[in-house]
Amino acid sequence: MNFTSIKVEKNIARQDILFAVARVPNSSKAFIAGSDFKISEIDFQQAKPEIRSFPAHSSYVTALILKDDTLISGAYDGKLVWWKASSGEKIKSIDAHKKWIRQATISPDGKHFASVADDMALKIWNIADAKMVREMTGEHKPLTPNDFQSMLYACAFNKDGKLVASVDKTGHIVVWETFTGKKIATMEAPIMYTWDPNARRHSIGGPRSIAFSPDSKLLAVGGTGKIGNIDHLEANGRVEVFNWEKSERLHEFVTDKSKGLVEHLEFHPDGNILLGAGGAGEGFLAFMDLKEKKVAHQEKAAMNIHAIASSDNMKSLLAVGHHRVLHIKTA
Amino acid sequence: MNKIRKNYCGSTEHAVSRRQFIGSAASGIAGASLFAENALSAELKKQGKSVILLWLAGGASQLETFDPKPGAITGGPFQSIQTSTPGVRISELMPKMAARFKDTCVIRSLNTKNGDHGSASQLMMRGRKDEASLKYPDMGAVLARELGKPESQVPDYVSFYLQSEGRNFSGSGFLGARFGPMELSKSVMPENINKPDHISESDFLDRMALRDLWSKNFETGRSSGTLASHQQAFMRVHGLMESQKLFDVSKEPQKMRDMYGPTQFAEQVLIARRLAESGVPFVRVGRAWWDSHGQNFETHQELVPELDHVMATLLTDLEDRGMLKNTLVVTLSEFGRTPGINSSLGRDHFASAWSCSLSGCGVKGGSIYGKTDEKGEKVIEGEIGAARLFATIYKALGINPQKNYYVGSRPVPLTDPGTEPVQEVLA
Repeated sequence: MNFTSIKVEKNIARQDILFAVARVPNSSKAFIAGSDFKISEIDFQQAKPEIRSFPAHSSYVTALILKDDTLISGAYDGKLVWWKASSGEKIKSIDAHKKWIRQATISPDGKHFASVADDMALKIWNIADAKMVREMTGEHKPLTPNDFQSMLYACAFNKDGKLVASVDKTGHIVVWETFTGKKIATMEAPIMYTWDPNARRHSIGGPRSIAFSPDSKLLAVGGTGKIGNIDHLEANGRVEVFNWEKSERLHEFVTDKSKGLVEHLEFHPDGNILLGAGGAGEGFLAFMDLKEKKVAHQEKAAMNIHAIASSDNMKSLLAVGHHRVLHIKTA
Repeated sequence: MNKIRKNYCGSTEHAVSRRQFIGSAASGIAGASLFAENALSAELKKQGKSVILLWLAGGASQLETFDPKPGAITGGPFQSIQTSTPGVRISELMPKMAARFKDTCVIRSLNTKNGDHGSASQLMMRGRKDEASLKYPDMGAVLARELGKPESQVPDYVSFYLQSEGRNFSGSGFLGARFGPMELSKSVMPENINKPDHISESDFLDRMALRDLWSKNFETGRSSGTLASHQQAFMRVHGLMESQKLFDVSKEPQKMRDMYGPTQFAEQVLIARRLAESGVPFVRVGRAWWDSHGQNFETHQELVPELDHVMATLLTDLEDRGMLKNTLVVTLSEFGRTPGINSSLGRDHFASAWSCSLSGCGVKGGSIYGKTDEKGEKVIEGEIGAARLFATIYKALGINPQKNYYVGSRPVPLTDPGTEPVQEVLA
């Protein structure tokens, strides 16, 4: 499988900008959410995909976790909300973070999930009882070196769920033991963060995605390159791959046919291919060959992609982003 | 031996030595005789009014500052918060200004019809477009002319613009160099008003005393406007050299510096307060660069809290010093930003329905003027353009917006003929 065949099977226009997606296993249904503060359930194979939609938060919804009939949403309002997926009934709402929740990711065993937010905290939660089981703070600084608010953008579990990694706006990466909260490695990806001290005096960029390889030896971080004119996301997408145990950067991938942020990163289960997706004015998919150390294939997307839920060993990708949902088949 | 002077901003256009400054200042004062001084303007000058313009260069988003639309498809992720005025809400990114809204009037109904950085910046600094044969003075030059005191030994118009993007849009137009800005573009300290290094302090004082003696001897028995204006100009330059300490933020107590905060913008605004306190009638602090075509919300998360903190601190500081009733603080950009969110999660240029704020002198505090529709796409109440905004600013300071200058024999009012200030904004 070389991922050179990319076919968009469904292209669904939306009014909202979508930041989160969770697929119902073994079906064509999914939950999506974004800028209208709602959660929508869709069947992407249907002519009229939207099944229902319900108000969920008071700001952009940026995280969805689905485990059986439990759906959990996270948003820029700092709340995590537990829902009964089948009915849309609200079960519980928690003031989980003091600032924007940027991302949440489910653990491999499906019992826990991690959330990261601009309060610079990484928190581990029990899905079943909605209890926080661990909080990691202090390592990601609240301010950038230039005294502006930093942001904690992304987190990921390794395959057995015993490790969790987080990355902030300035490119500071931390690997933690999930259930002790112990910091066990740090790395830096500073190129992805641009501070312009002279022309415009603010910043742009920052890593937006992170993923462990299936063997847990590699850690990939996605964002964008150094930007000249920070009015725009004008640099190419960028992915850096680390041997996290040595805090050593091994490879750098650049999406030379596309500009913008890599907002989704995912290793193929065989460990040889890394999928990056994102964009700016336009969207892109990039398949990186870890053996050859090159971007094997790049494809334009019909929208800036903010999140992907994959299934069937990445043969089916449900991508959400700027006013669209795409169902993509790969081969 | 004279050294070659460094420029204010690095451009040859602004290469001004003290000797050149004396020449232009003297000619400017002579030129000012074109304009009729009257008792009213003399009285106005005595009142010691000042304007501090916080120039949000590049175009700040009204939706993330003064005209939030939470829940609208255009509204973005931020909520609105209640201000100290019941029923008035601004962006959650501005909690400090929300808490001390009592001195501020927000105008939400600007439609200035120009979305180009360069020409829009000129428009919003001049209040109108230049004519082919007539360059209008910008707000700073007009206020330097109207509020500056001839005997003042501090600059009349100081402009901080330390970022490199978006400069070069100010100018004194037909008022001439006398009312042009002292531009600070490399450092908050003026660069070319230093005493030459090779002259000691005692030598310098001796020279000043000798010059003063010769000057008085020369003036004895003579009566000449040119002579007087030359003497005034010299004293202004001497004052400028002496005023360097006003730009030295280290002269402020550490507690005050901490209140304003650690950023470059905060430091400049603190210096602006020092200048206003010392009689400088117009100070512009340029804060670039708000042009958030990509990642608008991240950009405003950085820039708005800084603006909120510094602006609120400035207003409180001015109030504590008893200066707020005579100091008008203006926040203004060249335009606002589109309600529509582009695919880079940015907002683009938008001049059809945007906001500015006026605080302090002559303003009805704790108020809102004008209204935009639910999505912020158009003005639905109280639409005004640049001319009425400028008329309102001038009126708030006690200046007749229809006062005429004369260019040759041509009367030129401060704002376009017939332009009325917005009475609802005025105290």
